Amino acid sequence: MSQPILEVIELRKHFYQRRGLLDALTREADDRIIPAVDGVSFSLHENETLGLVGESGCGKTTTGKAILKLMSMNGGKILYQNTDITAYTPAQFRPLRRDIQMIFQDLDAALNPKICIADTLREAIRIREPDADATAVQHQIYELLDLVNLKKNKLSNFPSELSGGEKRRVGIARVLAVRPKMIVADEPTSALDVSIQAQVINLLRDLQAQFGLSFLFISHDLQLVELMSHRVAVMYLGQIVEMGPAKEIAHSPRHPYTSVLWSSIVEKRSMEVPSGAGPNAWGVFDFERPSGGCRFAPRCPIYAQRGRPIECTDPNSPPTLKSINQSHMVACHFPL
Amino acid sequence: MKKKFHQDVDTVSEYSQLSAWKSASTSDRLNVVYGFAVVLVVAVSYVLGAFGWLPHDPEAMDLDTMMADPFTNGYLLGTDFMGRDILTRLILGIQAYFLPSVLAVFIALGLGSLLGVLSGYWRRRFETPVTYFSNLIDSLPRMVLMLLVIAAFRPSIYTIMVVFGITTAPTIAMLVKGKVMMLRERNFIESAVALGLSPGVIIFKHILWFNCRALLLIQATIGMAEAVLLETSLSYLGFGVQEPTPSWGNMVQAGANYLLQGNFWPSTAPAIAIMLTVLGFHLLGDGLNNILEGRQNR
Amino acid sequence: MTEPVNIRPPLLRVENLRTYFYSRVKRAFVRSVDGVDLEVERGETLGIVGESGSGKSVTMLSAVGLVTAGPGVITGNVTFHDEAPQNLLQGLDSNVEIKHRNGRIMHIAKNNQSWQKQADLNLRGVRGGKISMIFQNPRAALNPFETVGQQIAESVRLHTGMKSAIQAKERALYWLEQVRIDSPHLRYDNHPYGLSGGMSQRAMIAMALAAEPRMLIADEPTTGLDATIQARIVDLLDDLKTRLGMTMVLISHDIGVISRLSNRIAVMYGGRVLETGPTAEVLDERADGHPYTRALLASTPRRENITESGHLPAIEGEVLDTINVPCGCRFRERCQRINDTVHTRCETSEPELFEIAPGRRIRCWLYSPQ
Repeated sequence: MSQPILEVIELRKHFYQRRGLLDALTREADDRIIPAVDGVSFSLHENETLGLVGESGCGKTTTGKAILKLMSMNGGKILYQNTDITAYTPAQFRPLRRDIQMIFQDLDAALNPKICIADTLREAIRIREPDADATAVQHQIYELLDLVNLKKNKLSNFPSELSGGEKRRVGIARVLAVRPKMIVADEPTSALDVSIQAQVINLLRDLQAQFGLSFLFISHDLQLVELMSHRVAVMYLGQIVEMGPAKEIAHSPRHPYTSVLWSSIVEKRSMEVPSGAGPNAWGVFDFERPSGGCRFAPRCPIYAQRGRPIECTDPNSPPTLKSINQSHMVACHFPL
Repeated sequence: MKKKFHQDVDTVSEYSQLSAWKSASTSDRLNVVYGFAVVLVVAVSYVLGAFGWLPHDPEAMDLDTMMADPFTNGYLLGTDFMGRDILTRLILGIQAYFLPSVLAVFIALGLGSLLGVLSGYWRRRFETPVTYFSNLIDSLPRMVLMLLVIAAFRPSIYTIMVVFGITTAPTIAMLVKGKVMMLRERNFIESAVALGLSPGVIIFKHILWFNCRALLLIQATIGMAEAVLLETSLSYLGFGVQEPTPSWGNMVQAGANYLLQGNFWPSTAPAIAIMLTVLGFHLLGDGLNNILEGRQNR
Repeated sequence: MTEPVNIRPPLLRVENLRTYFYSRVKRAFVRSVDGVDLEVERGETLGIVGESGSGKSVTMLSAVGLVTAGPGVITGNVTFHDEAPQNLLQGLDSNVEIKHRNGRIMHIAKNNQSWQKQADLNLRGVRGGKISMIFQNPRAALNPFETVGQQIAESVRLHTGMKSAIQAKERALYWLEQVRIDSPHLRYDNHPYGLSGGMSQRAMIAMALAAEPRMLIADEPTTGLDATIQARIVDLLDDLKTRLGMTMVLISHDIGVISRLSNRIAVMYGGRVLETGPTAEVLDERADGHPYTRALLASTPRRENITESGHLPAIEGEVLDTINVPCGCRFRERCQRINDTVHTRCETSEPELFEIAPGRRIRCWLYSPQ
């Protein structure tokens, strides 16, 4: 693969939770910092799909939005086609928005409920071609509908009159209207019925083949991500814990969390071990009192199996991403 | 009480969404119709007055028919204490408040929207200064300010209306700011930004035009009603239009002297006109509010 | 000749249940549940699987009288056989008038108030006590102003013989332990907002079980939870099933959850049951089964399902809108297995639930006895 189209280096995003009055008086008055994204690095090449998997709260959506500059970052760099766009102002970044687009998790996100579908698409087309005449624009609208398999009679409808699958397709058409080079797809099939999901998945695969698009495919479903991606990065609590080729991640994972996630999704069976050590036992990670070291240790079956080794909770040696083979990296002291 | 449900057709292939009008209550519809009629009458009368197409000369004094009742001798609404046709003077009286009120509403909506959008969309930069500015304006007593302006400058109704507009702007700014803040968090605004639309388009088209239209229209009707009341009050007090130019306020004032004589019509006619007009604007705003905003909440 | 084994009647039997809603905008009935027959045997878990609009949730809500929108339940019998059979929808007919035309219901007049009163009378002691429900959003079911422990204790006092506060508290703590919540004594005094998603789901399960019901209805209990938390709740339900010998009706759109927990499955689509049978058989892609179920399983996003063209075999078309119900089979517009033999029948008349083996029924002309 050639030069990466997108490179993210040590991305950081913190959310602040203000201290209540009582806490400010009685304890140290630091605002609580929640490191939603805590040092995430990856690269995306042309015509490639990188899957970003994790559960809610792991920071995958935040990462996606940070790349699109819909959220400010607290640290790290973003390089698009080798240019550092981290410090771009909104005005500087706006022309680049045509290249980097997003499919939002919420089906209604892309659609102003008061504007009919035809006008929504027209607006998107005019971003790229502000001077095109009406016939050319109409022609392109029909082309877009064909691309996403939507019937022409939906053009005069409003979003409230469409089904879930249709709304998702309009959202995709709108994004395609500006001819992006890469798309961040945030849970594109989550809100859809099972029988419709397959249609959307086929559509995304076809579009990638046809236009050479790159996808950052964000999802909580490892099986789906394995299907859609070339490479997969697994996130837990703001950090990437494993990254590698999709098949290897799915069928021979090296990080305990990946394997726990897989068994939860496929067999609906929990492989976690309750350590019985207070509230952390059931996986509620307390950012206020981080146990230091590996964040997954309280829930990790390997940690329990190995008799709670001291390296895992030592704050001075947190696990970092190390290569196991040419393309596979794991952040674990005792990879599987 | 059995509730009945009836299915119209065997299979329903298409449906039309009930428009906001059809699903409105009768009282709301009546309000809007009445209010709209009032607006129409006022606008038409303004045009008539501007071109001078009046039934009679407003200053012609018909000394034979003074204090006449309506429908005497071709005077549709009777004559006043000087024999002048009341209907003509009422029509002409609209000149006194129409343009100034429109000016006031424009300023209030324009300035209010600007402040509201600035403080709602770019909160970090503008919220504090705009709030200080709004509070400052709000804290000034409006009547006193107007009297000061009258004393300092020419007692022109336009200057007064400018002051009125500026002092109404903070209320509108707050309403618009609330709407903008709420909409900014909505997903479709975020995705409009992601698509690459400029902030101008997002604010004017997506936020203001599609979502604040109803709000601004309703505030316009309320503003007009208040401006009409303001002008008529001022001219009643003698600060506005002076005799012999008619204004509904000074007509009420002048005719008041004859109330004790039992000739209440010259004073009451303009008073009723004021009441019906202000009521019309308010009802229009209220009805539109229920119809348009009620639909959004469905 | 051996004595016939005394087979006890099913704990819950639903017969010909119809629940319609009325859409003012379209001036037509939304036929949410359109003639559903189900049986739940004692000690088993019945999994009801379906997509949105299939009527799976509404079926169970109707059975326990929780449907209040108009016109709601209009026909059907729901027999709950604990010690003696009891029709939960008794007295329904006197409150509803139905007019048909061409086999379709065109006009319904229903006295909702008196129906609700009758339903509440029928269900007293049953709803909440003998039949308990847990829902998708646990925070919605828990009172935010009371502590978790208080709510569970309330359930104990209402539905079991233990009326004293101390006994109820002990029992509540017992149930909190049973649902494997960490630090039960701590959680007893927590308010619902202090609990995470998984923990509040456990608390709701504890509250439902504290009433010591004969049957538990779980409506999408794991939807909306994180994947790893889902797995733990599923493990918990599995564990409780085995230990307590509970009868359970599990409603979900997630085939994985259903397959792990259910003994038998009913597949619903467009307000009707399309097939029932033991879990292994219904989900076995190589065995006989309804075209809908087979197509659904084949289209789930798994690498194994990708065909040579690089596609998932997706079911074309949209999920059935229960307003425009076609005549004939409800699935025929999306069915890939229609052949010339059954073509006409699929288009003109809706198939029955044909029994191809004891306990295994399929609503499809391909499996009719002829």
